[in-house]
Amino acid sequence: MTSFRLIIFAVIGLAQLSVPASVIWKREQTLRQGRVWKFKTAPVDPIDAIRGRYVALRFDAETVPHSENTIPGPVGTTMYVTLKEDAQGFAQVDHLNEMPITGDNVMKVKQGYASKDNEYRVVFPFNRFWVTEDDAAAAEKAYFENSRQGKQNAYAAVRVRESDAAIEDLFIDNQPLREYLRAHPQ
Amino acid sequence: MAGSTNRRAVRWLRGQLPGLVAAGVISPENAQAIERHYGSEEASSSFAFILLAIVGSVLVSAGIILLIAHNWDEFSRPLRSAIAFLPLILAQALSVFVLLRRNESKPWRETAAIFDVAAVGTAISLISQTYQIQGTFASFMQIWLLLSIPVVYLLRTSFGAGMYLIGAVVWLFSIENFFGVRASPNLFWLFLALLVPYYVIRFRENRNSAETAILSILLAVAAAIGLGMTADFTRTNMGNLAFAGLATTIYLCGIIFFPREDGLHPVAFLGGLGVGIVAVVLSFEPLWNFHHRLTTQWVEWQSLGLAGQVAVGIQILFPVAAVILGLWAIIAHGPVRFSLVAFLLPFVTAVAWLEVYFCLGDCSFLAALLFDLYAFAFGVEVLVRGIRVRSVARANFGLLIIAGLAICRFFDTDLSFVERGVGFIVVGAGFLIANVIFFRKRATTS
Repeated sequence: MTSFRLIIFAVIGLAQLSVPASVIWKREQTLRQGRVWKFKTAPVDPIDAIRGRYVALRFDAETVPHSENTIPGPVGTTMYVTLKEDAQGFAQVDHLNEMPITGDNVMKVKQGYASKDNEYRVVFPFNRFWVTEDDAAAAEKAYFENSRQGKQNAYAAVRVRESDAAIEDLFIDNQPLREYLRAHPQ
Repeated sequence: MAGSTNRRAVRWLRGQLPGLVAAGVISPENAQAIERHYGSEEASSSFAFILLAIVGSVLVSAGIILLIAHNWDEFSRPLRSAIAFLPLILAQALSVFVLLRRNESKPWRETAAIFDVAAVGTAISLISQTYQIQGTFASFMQIWLLLSIPVVYLLRTSFGAGMYLIGAVVWLFSIENFFGVRASPNLFWLFLALLVPYYVIRFRENRNSAETAILSILLAVAAAIGLGMTADFTRTNMGNLAFAGLATTIYLCGIIFFPREDGLHPVAFLGGLGVGIVAVVLSFEPLWNFHHRLTTQWVEWQSLGLAGQVAVGIQILFPVAAVILGLWAIIAHGPVRFSLVAFLLPFVTAVAWLEVYFCLGDCSFLAALLFDLYAFAFGVEVLVRGIRVRSVARANFGLLIIAGLAICRFFDTDLSFVERGVGFIVVGAGFLIANVIFFRKRATTS
């Protein structure tokens, strides 16, 4: 009976370890082999900027201009977008697809609500950047100051591989957030 | 120290008993007597010890989570990942130790279970922060619950089972609506179903224990919350029928599976209370104003989607369960020991439901009226049963239902203040007179 319990616990224990381990494995693959895309952040509502321990992110590229080849699905539908770079090197949505496609320029998104007739909204699979307890307040201020109307100076570096998108870092004024905070002590 | 040595010695002695009996050194009766002797000694102190063990482990686990959640970004990603695994591996080692050496000790099992479950949550959340994983709180809870439930079974922890149930309800409240698109709550019923075998084991072991009673109540309350969410998800007007079924099922379970010579088991009481509340609530007319979404047309049934259809099925399950349970009790156990009026609740609700559903025009008034009559009948039956078995509590509960119904109608209808005032006086006087008669009758008979 005891050995039976131990065998069962071994299975449970392995499952408990494998869940976080598989997350690490998948993310490490994406972070090492994925293609880097830079997503310019959109101006944020200051109230919305930070919730506890993460910076809430919004992106310009989540708004997709209306064109012939885009297919609007019901709100909340999972879709696949292909990405392209604009003249400044920032990522833009190229095509919306309902069926899964692969490539280091493909991301899984959700259909959001469009606020205007000539555009669609998609919701990216990353919208928060976790920061440490000590940095939270300073990060909020820095992000807000560099992500508002007239001064959009922040972007997220995201690695994309096989539809998985992993935020690598949040850049403010072309510096990783931590370095920016060190260089600009509050 | 003397105490712990003593316990160790007792544990050793108990381990030796089967061998001693087999070798013929002592008789099986002797062995049983020794077991009983030490068993009674252990029982008196074990409850306080279990409680202390639980509180201690919860505090330590919370401390570990807070320390780790600090998100030490001075460390590299691999190092932070390793730190995330550390409490989990320690908790698992503790669990193995308990399974090997302290399997019969409840405090040890509860402690190991709390540490293990907390460590799983800590590992997942820290890895999520380290790797900027964007999952929702609901998806985190989902994985946590599924990884925790086997621990409840293996370490036989009822505290863990209670926490698991609370976790399932937390999950239910955390499923987000994406831009108004409702998320399906169906997974909640899977979480609940996964705990049922554990509950059955506890029930078979000791149905009269406080542990079983608390778990029963938690299960019933969780089911009620889940049913509310499920009814809200489908919006097919099945909620009335589902809640009537749930209340009756709980009541019947309480009477059939927890029989008591004196008074009611808490489960039966909870069910009875539920029947009373559902009856009074359904006497409000707006509850019967259906938005016709699910019609007899196949096309609209299909428009619910698979999740919606499953959710409707879950709601129908409860009245069906109540009917089967009641009929089974009548056929198998002979004379009815439960309130027949309470058993009729799903039938009455079904009649009202069909009446509103198939009637053209505004038919909610008739359904509400039917429930006025039903709630009144139930109140009277409870009152009469209370008087018959001389239970003040039950008789007053019957009166409370009648009074509740009357008060609801006073606020519900356009009566003048004078009429309402007279009504309140009549109901209040009814209460007083009934109780005076009741106590007098009891005094003369005793």
